[in-house]
Amino acid sequence: MNVLEVKDLTVQYLTSRGRVHAVERISWELRQAEALGIVGESGCGKTTVAMAIMGLLPSNAEVVEGKILLEGRDLLLLDPEEMRTIRWKKIAMVFQAAMNALNPVHRVGDQILEAMIAHDGELSEKEVQRRLEELCAMVGLDPRRMKDYPHQFSGGMRQRAVIAMALACRPTMLIADEPTTALDVMVADQILGQLRRLQVEMGLAILYISHDISVIARSCDRMGVMYAGQLVELGETDDILDHPLHPYTRGLMKSYPKLRGPKTKLEPIPGEPPNLMDPPPGCRFCPRCPDKGASCPTERPPWIQAMEGHWVLCHKGEV
Amino acid sequence: MASSRDRGKEKPLGGGAHFLRHLGENWAIYRKNRMGMGGLGLLVLFGLMALASFVPPLLDPMYHPMNGMDPEIDTSTGPSARHLLGTDFMGRDILSQLLTGARVALLIGVSAAFMAVAIGTMVGMVAGYFGGIVDTLLMRLADIVMVLPGLLVILILSSVAGQLSIWNLVLIIALLKWAGVSRIIRSQTLSLKVRPYVEAARVAGASHTRIMFRHMLPNVLPLSFLYMTFGVTSAILIEASLSFLGFGDPSTVSWGMMLQWVWKTGHMFKAPYWLLPPGICISLITLAFYLIGRAMDEVLNPRLRKEVLEQ
Amino acid sequence: MNLRKFLLVRSGQIVVTFWIILTLLFVLFRLAPSDPLSVVADSLMSEEEIQILKAQFGLDEPLHRQYLLYLWNFIRGEFGTSFHYRQPVVEILGDRLPKTALLFTTATVLYALAGISMGKILAWYRGSLLDSGMSFLGLLTHTFFLPWLALLLIWVFGYKLGWFPLSGMISPEIWLDPESSLLAKFMDVLHHMALPMGVLFLTHFGGYMLVMRTTMLETLREDYILTARAKGLPEKVIRNRHAAPNASLPVVTSLGLSLAFSINGGALTETIFSWPGLGRELVASVAHGDYPLAQAAFLFIAAFVLVANLVVDVIYAYLDPRIRY
Repeated sequence: MNVLEVKDLTVQYLTSRGRVHAVERISWELRQAEALGIVGESGCGKTTVAMAIMGLLPSNAEVVEGKILLEGRDLLLLDPEEMRTIRWKKIAMVFQAAMNALNPVHRVGDQILEAMIAHDGELSEKEVQRRLEELCAMVGLDPRRMKDYPHQFSGGMRQRAVIAMALACRPTMLIADEPTTALDVMVADQILGQLRRLQVEMGLAILYISHDISVIARSCDRMGVMYAGQLVELGETDDILDHPLHPYTRGLMKSYPKLRGPKTKLEPIPGEPPNLMDPPPGCRFCPRCPDKGASCPTERPPWIQAMEGHWVLCHKGEV
Repeated sequence: MASSRDRGKEKPLGGGAHFLRHLGENWAIYRKNRMGMGGLGLLVLFGLMALASFVPPLLDPMYHPMNGMDPEIDTSTGPSARHLLGTDFMGRDILSQLLTGARVALLIGVSAAFMAVAIGTMVGMVAGYFGGIVDTLLMRLADIVMVLPGLLVILILSSVAGQLSIWNLVLIIALLKWAGVSRIIRSQTLSLKVRPYVEAARVAGASHTRIMFRHMLPNVLPLSFLYMTFGVTSAILIEASLSFLGFGDPSTVSWGMMLQWVWKTGHMFKAPYWLLPPGICISLITLAFYLIGRAMDEVLNPRLRKEVLEQ
Repeated sequence: MNLRKFLLVRSGQIVVTFWIILTLLFVLFRLAPSDPLSVVADSLMSEEEIQILKAQFGLDEPLHRQYLLYLWNFIRGEFGTSFHYRQPVVEILGDRLPKTALLFTTATVLYALAGISMGKILAWYRGSLLDSGMSFLGLLTHTFFLPWLALLLIWVFGYKLGWFPLSGMISPEIWLDPESSLLAKFMDVLHHMALPMGVLFLTHFGGYMLVMRTTMLETLREDYILTARAKGLPEKVIRNRHAAPNASLPVVTSLGLSLAFSINGGALTETIFSWPGLGRELVASVAHGDYPLAQAAFLFIAAFVLVANLVVDVIYAYLDPRIRY
């Protein structure tokens, strides 16, 4: 059973300088109790996808095409009020640690409770306290610190608080947007471990979004690679890491140091991502691709299942 | 030389040399701001009024704002062909007084603001650059000056010193208003102090004065300039208030003085042609500088510009 | 708790600042006039009185002893006798202080709260007709020259429409009548307060409204607002519980910074409306050359400003937990 299905999602931004083709025909699904990771460089559109799912796109964004099905229901067809009731109760978001996700003038505990109370006003004082303690235990926070303000928390603690806040309404799925950026490695590892435990214990489905492939590799069962607004590869994490099919994915792997295995030279991918206001008609990666073919610059590559459960957006996808 | 290395790095305010080099660009941005252009237009109008103030007495001595004596009129009369805005209680031409008021306002405003900003910039740079006890002392001094209500301080001063002349007033206003600017300049200096080119200059053995004047001052000037526009209004309002209360320089005609005359000679209720123009002028000139200041703030602070809709 | 320490430090600073102002005033009044005696006694006093005052203010003593005597007199509340009223200065000012406090504080609280509420709403409905209209209005009233606006209001509402009295704080007929009720007296004061408060309100509320609007707009771009939206909270809650408390902080700061400006306005208002407060007394005493009264009035006002600053700081500390903890 799919918790979330994204079909042919296409989002564009209207700016005074033109239309930005931020996301183009993205399709993927998130299964129950699964961790799916979307990896891509900044500007590739991954945050736009997260915002589209949450219904938090800015006013100049336009969903040109596509469906976002949450347990069968198309979120894009809901009106703002319906969407508001779904937010946090069904899908919650864990924001980046670097962000000011917590309001500086309210106590941490109050902010965690706020969501709970907003969606379920029937809870008693006792029940609410109990749940708060439960949440603290889940993320590894001391319940006595709940009376503190955000500036009194360390970065790692803040991230845990943000996770606790996300879990407050017992959502069906979680979106973790760059959950470990700006955290030091030790803390980041703990956080990712925590999230993994939650996924397993609570049967939570988690969508990870990161530019750091190592985060995705560590935490996700399946992963997708985004480039210039398009999903260029999708499949089991191990599968993709061992057999990257798309030239961009291959390039990504080569530019990341590996702890084990033979020491190879790090190679950055030459060139720059295309201007999304005027994207090329054919493959968007073509200008930087070492393997280009004749039809690549002009024809949109097909989305093909090259191997079992392993999809790729490439003219040369057939292995 | 200094700014070129800075380009592209995060900089909240355009540096001085940077600012001048891109004057054309900056002007284009300013022009787009309709309110700023409105303010500028008003300012030009007042400038013209100030210049025009020399004309009436030349046309006929009876139009002199202070000493003009109309042989036929010696009371307050309404607008007529002879006196476009009417006459005051002594039969003097109101329009002529209004024009002179513009001249006085601009003179006082600009001089006082310029001096205040000059002092404030120096103090701010010195405090920010040297830090330590110099900084603490200067900023404590600034705090004390800032907390005092300027108008009342001037009143007390004039009680001891007697009638203040226009230039004394300008000086005193400058001595009261430098504090606000100095704080801002100090902040800016602090952030400039750690820029690579300043460190480089220090390592190369440049003297303190050279670093301050050659490297920091140009980057701090746009901010100073911005605060000057705020300062002009302040100075004009203080002079107007003082004159209104009766403590202004009796040898000059200012808008505040005109209001004092209307009020004190009991013509408040019967002479709207006399009551309205000076008040409107003071308010409009305040508005003009406020709009100009806001527009300039936008030019210098890209964050404030009408957002280009972005992701 | 940090709040106590904070208060202590700030109070200490205020005492130091006030002492500096006292000293500066001493320098001004003792060293500036050609005859320091004229500051303390005028020509209408008898030789006896003059000798007493000379002793009281130590005018025959060396300067440093005069200074210490000056500070001691201040602490004792001994400010001399007003030339104009022939009464002890401290009595006169003691009478005027509450009246200034009444007008000024009430007006400030009103226009600050009104400005903040309005600014909050304008930011929320940015770009709407309400926003453009009110912003324009706020800008306009903000730039009115206070004395001129006062004269206009008196002319229209006092003279032409006759709705409000033209000046003063009370109507003698009501207050001298032994049968007037407390309510009648209270209403009478309110009636007199209306125009001066109107002037203060109009000239100041625009500023607060515009600043609040700006800070709200900036606050709305913060990440925690996105969090609040993501949590599915209703718009009103986001605006009032999340955005407004944060946006108010810079406004409170600007309240503190503009206190000097508002005091000026207060003095002008009192003078125009003959409101019997400290400001009017200062202006009048300077005009009369009543040095003891002028000096003391200034000191009282300075103290008032400093205390007001402290109050604003406390309010800020209360609102921003980052200061307290």
